[in-house]
Amino acid sequence: MVTIDLSQFSNITEANEKIREYGRDNQSVEIINPDARHNIGVGLVDPITVKIKGSAGYFCGGLTDGAHFEIENNVGWAAGDNIYTGTVVVGGNAGAIAGVGLRGGEVVIRGNMGSRAGQIMKEGTLCCGGNAAFMAGYMMYGGRIIILGDAAEKVGQDMSAGEIFVGGQIENLGNDAEIVDLAPGDLDSIKEFLHRYDLKFEGTFTKVVNAGKKLRYKSQEPRHRPQPFFIHSKSSSYWNAKVQEDIWIKGEVGRYRIRGYGASKPVPHLNDIAFAKSISHVKASSSALDGVNLRTQIGGRYGAKPLDLSMPVMIAPMSFGALSRSVKIALARASRLSGISENTGEGGMLDEQREEADQLIFQMLSGRLGWNVKDMQRADAIEIYISQGAKPGLGGQLMAKKVTPELAAIRGIPVGIDLRSPSRHPDVLGADDLVIKMDELREAVAHKVPLGIKMGAGRVKDDIKIAYKDGFDFVELDGLQGSTGAASTEVLENVGIPTISAIQEAVDGLREINAADDMHLVLMGGIKDGVDAVKMLALGAHCVSVGTAAIIAGGCIACMQCHVGSCPVGIATQDKEHEARYDIDRQANNMHRFFESMRWQMAAITKALGYDDVHKVSREDLVALTPEAADITGLPYAPQHQDHVHPDDDLSTLSRKAG
Amino acid sequence: MTDFLNPHLSVTATPDLDDDTKDIHYVPAPCQVACPIGTDAPSYIGYIWEGEYEKALEAINATNPMSAICGRVCDAPCEPACRRADSDSAIAIRNLKRFVLEELGPGFHLPPVKVTRQKTVAVVGGGPAGVTAAHDLAEAGYEVHIYEASDRLGGMCVWGIPRFRLPEGVIQQDIDRVLNHCPGIKVQLNTALGEQISLDELKQKHDAVLLSIGAFVGKTMGIPGEAAPYVEDGVGFLRRINAGERPAMPKTVLVVGGGDVAMDACRVAKRLPGVEQVKVVYRRDAEGMPARKEELQGAIEEGIEIVYNTQPVEVVDGALRCVRTEMGEADEDGRRRPVSVAGSEHDLECGLVIAAVGQKAECQELEEKGLMDWDRVRADFNGMVTADPMVFAAGDGGFGGSTIVEAMGHGHRAAYYMKAYLEGNQNPLAYRTPYRTRRVPVCNDPMWEINPRVHQNFHGLGKKPAEFAEIESTYSREEAVAEAARCFRCDAETGSADYTVTSRESIFAMSRITPQQKAEQIQILDTRLEHRENPFGEDHQATLDDLVFLPANLSRLVIDPYREGCKTRSDIGAIHSMELDIPFIVTGLDHAPDEVHSAYAKSIRQAGAAYLGTHPIGDTRWIQVFDGEENGEADAVAFLADDAIAHGIHRILAKRPRGLIANTGNVEKAIEFGLEEELDFLILDGTNGLPGLSAELAGPPDISILHKAVTKLRQLNREEEIDLVYFGGLRTGTDGAKAMALGARAVIIGASAALALGADISQGEPVFSSDLSSQDREERSANLLQAFNAESSMMARCTGKTNVQNMEPEDLRAITLTASQAAGVPMAGSLNQH
Repeated sequence: MVTIDLSQFSNITEANEKIREYGRDNQSVEIINPDARHNIGVGLVDPITVKIKGSAGYFCGGLTDGAHFEIENNVGWAAGDNIYTGTVVVGGNAGAIAGVGLRGGEVVIRGNMGSRAGQIMKEGTLCCGGNAAFMAGYMMYGGRIIILGDAAEKVGQDMSAGEIFVGGQIENLGNDAEIVDLAPGDLDSIKEFLHRYDLKFEGTFTKVVNAGKKLRYKSQEPRHRPQPFFIHSKSSSYWNAKVQEDIWIKGEVGRYRIRGYGASKPVPHLNDIAFAKSISHVKASSSALDGVNLRTQIGGRYGAKPLDLSMPVMIAPMSFGALSRSVKIALARASRLSGISENTGEGGMLDEQREEADQLIFQMLSGRLGWNVKDMQRADAIEIYISQGAKPGLGGQLMAKKVTPELAAIRGIPVGIDLRSPSRHPDVLGADDLVIKMDELREAVAHKVPLGIKMGAGRVKDDIKIAYKDGFDFVELDGLQGSTGAASTEVLENVGIPTISAIQEAVDGLREINAADDMHLVLMGGIKDGVDAVKMLALGAHCVSVGTAAIIAGGCIACMQCHVGSCPVGIATQDKEHEARYDIDRQANNMHRFFESMRWQMAAITKALGYDDVHKVSREDLVALTPEAADITGLPYAPQHQDHVHPDDDLSTLSRKAG
Repeated sequence: MTDFLNPHLSVTATPDLDDDTKDIHYVPAPCQVACPIGTDAPSYIGYIWEGEYEKALEAINATNPMSAICGRVCDAPCEPACRRADSDSAIAIRNLKRFVLEELGPGFHLPPVKVTRQKTVAVVGGGPAGVTAAHDLAEAGYEVHIYEASDRLGGMCVWGIPRFRLPEGVIQQDIDRVLNHCPGIKVQLNTALGEQISLDELKQKHDAVLLSIGAFVGKTMGIPGEAAPYVEDGVGFLRRINAGERPAMPKTVLVVGGGDVAMDACRVAKRLPGVEQVKVVYRRDAEGMPARKEELQGAIEEGIEIVYNTQPVEVVDGALRCVRTEMGEADEDGRRRPVSVAGSEHDLECGLVIAAVGQKAECQELEEKGLMDWDRVRADFNGMVTADPMVFAAGDGGFGGSTIVEAMGHGHRAAYYMKAYLEGNQNPLAYRTPYRTRRVPVCNDPMWEINPRVHQNFHGLGKKPAEFAEIESTYSREEAVAEAARCFRCDAETGSADYTVTSRESIFAMSRITPQQKAEQIQILDTRLEHRENPFGEDHQATLDDLVFLPANLSRLVIDPYREGCKTRSDIGAIHSMELDIPFIVTGLDHAPDEVHSAYAKSIRQAGAAYLGTHPIGDTRWIQVFDGEENGEADAVAFLADDAIAHGIHRILAKRPRGLIANTGNVEKAIEFGLEEELDFLILDGTNGLPGLSAELAGPPDISILHKAVTKLRQLNREEEIDLVYFGGLRTGTDGAKAMALGARAVIIGASAALALGADISQGEPVFSSDLSSQDREERSANLLQAFNAESSMMARCTGKTNVQNMEPEDLRAITLTASQAAGVPMAGSLNQH
């Protein structure tokens, strides 16, 4: 046992580095003068014991695997956050959300614990020797909470699975929770647990479980392939066939409808913007790729190792869940072949994905589905999801057909529920919480990789300032057109602002606070090719992110029925038979060629505009073609403008070829 | 999946063709592009699903005069091109065609076309190429004379394809259909070129001549001993069988070759008396075999053995001497060349060798005129013309062995150049296959993703093989629908304005080329640079679609719309008030049937909503639209503003909320009047049509009324003194939420409520039919209110609110300038204040 005097460390990072060093040497640690500092021991993945002589702050022992923490006195909120295995034992009281997001292991609070204890936990045991404040087991997906004292209101609020045992009084139950009799073995198992931690209890328990009334949508929406997008109130009659169908179906199901993809209606977009100068002199004979720099580094603001992209393009976050495993592998491979980054999206990291991708961003969502410290430590960047363009303000959505046993296991959730992820992080209720959460995440990866934030575009001008001041390395900003595997059609069409509005507000907002150009803006939502990418960069983005277009390049037919789970080409499905239709090798190569074509287009346009670096293209190089685009971006309005490259004469015979 | 570039990406100028490729909402599907005649397969498949067989047949027949034939024996290049081929299995495009033809084929033909031209055309040879060309020329108004050497039209379909695959009546059906459609086609049978008629005569009688003479002479194997009497060529063999012969066969028959003729010959031999064993000897491996896979499979199922990698070298007594081969390097055509294995000679015993190794054209007359080039008529494919400018060529006789559909493709192509010639156009635009679409809606079959390919019933040899019974039958209607549902409909516009069918195809194209293919890269780049038409042009009328909500993110606490509650209580009335549990009021059912009244009465009561109308519809909260007399039953009364302002309001019954119904024309006056009279609410009618629905159904409402009213009240600084209720064009709960954010306390739905009960809109009024049960009606009306209410609260929560009444204009942004103006809401992202 070695002693670390925390008062000797001005920042926790150095102390945690020290603890990890001892961990690697299998040497247990005693910490004195902890001074209730946050993030003590975060990121420890060796099975040592850490004794804290005093009180600890937020996230004590959080994001760890296999370690044993013993805290003499009290802890702040989120003690034992997301631990995989190991223990956190607190001698005194714990703040809110003790044992949040547990994936296993044991968290014991000998005193009282604050509200929302065990929120979104999946496995393991959270035990409280005293009383629990309101909403114990809020949205828990599994595992066990044992409360020896009383539980305040809304016990088990919106829990999906798991068990809550209360030894004292239950003030009342939460939504969709119910009391059931103890099962044989419950009591023995609890006694064994209490015995191990030397907790005394006489009497019996009330058991609270999920009542199963809200796990699935009550009614199934009839499957409907979408009507053509041009049927809308502009070009067709106001009460057109699409509107009538929509109303008819709502009359049937009594709720909002769900589908895949993004906003289907036309909104002001990059194709309402043109290049100010003629680029018609792009010739087939010139080698577009020579002498144009496209390389882009993202996320080095605070000294982390930036993502090093061969061009300013990322693959957008898309989950294993929404997409089949095969598609995630193909995307990862395509990202490597084209020297860009892949992103896990919600729902965890696959080993094959990690092996295939050279640069992989690991996304953390509110439900912490598939989130864990080991995968964080093998990621090349970390991204906090706040919201997405397709459904800002709501959590992820995955319909029951896709929640297979395999998928449920990686996410730590029950099989076959209509998964509606929480809309809000348990430990981020405002910008100040976010700063502390960011510290925890950075501690877990020893500040080595960039930390980003993903947001659906709303009040971008305000949000971007917070993101900047909170210290993110990069922002993925997703416009109204951003797609998804499943969302309410109402939200898809009506919540969020167009992608060009998003970049404009981001740039304006950062200018208003005189921000340096060091927080990188990654724009997404309807980026379909290199033309869109260059325009977006000219508007002020550092990089673009491509989701739907990549999926289409890899065989998606754009039927927009991703939510159904029976994708006929094996992309948006977890059905093994359907997935078997997906040819990973061929589609990875198709996606790779698509990215290479984007590269070619970006280089060709950059060159034609007279630059040697795509990042030199600027607003001066753009004009607006519609009054809307001009108003949003402030670009000169030039409706007569036409972009063209003139194919060489010998191309005139290039015909469509049925091969 | 066929890697193809769609015609949108082509810079080729479009010749004067019946073609839809300029339609930005249409891209020819890979199956259509793979078809030499551009068959609009997606449309006919879509029509089959709809049960519209006549329309399906029109789509088939428009470019395919041999529809019935093709439904059975086309080599169907569409099917390997089908995008679904990569998933579970290609759509059975060919058999679906056959299904349609069997449903209503024999009687169907396109309407007759008249002869309108002086000039006439001769077509020599009535096979697929000749008939197709004749068909096109006749459609263009020319009189066409077909000179056919045999006693019937059909060419190889008659003489080359065995009856168990293509019954005779089927061929005649197509011929009759063409002739009924094109009375200008005159047929002269038993008239062979060089025998009954000469080329000079034809040139003299007609203004142009098409040589579509076919290739009816079997090629030889070119090995010693093949003159032996037990060696026969494949096409010759098939011709005599198709003429009716049923010769006895030896025990063992060998068929040499790997094409469709070999497949037909072996299957014919297998059916003839005396035969025990039929083997196909082919010099390449299975992969290199050109025969259609289905035909090969059929042969194997009928018990025929395929001997691959075996090349005949000599015909010896009672046997065919062969060597084994291995697959070598690829040829120019991409197929691997077979290489003999030294010392592998062996004899295959047999009583008959059928050499199906290709066929050629022969014509003494043309030979003498110098128009032949060894095995075919010498012609330039670019113009389909021979050395003689008035003589054209098409089909197997002109361009070597081809399939039926390729020959028809030649026919179309030749007809195109012949028309140009006849019209004196010496330099026509290059021909390309035209692509049409019938814009059939995508089917809405819930099983479309899941249905496996439906296989045809295969009968094989049948009980009496020598009778040549058909080998397979087509689908039942149910099977046809199940199969048609599977179509991806690659041709159809998608549901996404971003990922349209054209941008999807561009992305496909980008993902099929390499950076080294610069020409293609440039071409796609040029396509991608094309600008779309401004979706919000000058005549754009602002609708609620043009407004979006701003979600909470970092600068506002996010509410969980899946779980957290949202208050919906929306009582109206500034002084006297009426309770409303949800912010929705229903209207427009005054004249609806009683069943509709009772359904909505129950749902409105349960939801805690209200009804607005001249009459009550049951025991619900009712806002009476004043029509001369106040009703004591009403919970509130609304006066049409113009009447009220003109005649004043007489308060007969006390203590109930009173309000006005205002429209864009009188809203400001109505506000002044309402405030003066201390009224409780103001209904803002964006349709200017209350209490009826016809104005609402006529088109988009004027949403500016809300902004006008709020602006006026703000000017007077009396916003709290009267409640605004909005009516007009609300189609979703989200629309309602937008109206509330703009200042309405509650909203009124009219047409939506009617449509939820399946009302048809007839002459601007909803008409209710009786095909719903009363339970359905009750459920549907309750569901609609529930859904709309849930949607509006979802919007509130997305913006970070837990009470629908807390939504405000600041939660909205406009995405069009007209909407920004009309609603008084800033443009999303803009620094300008409108």
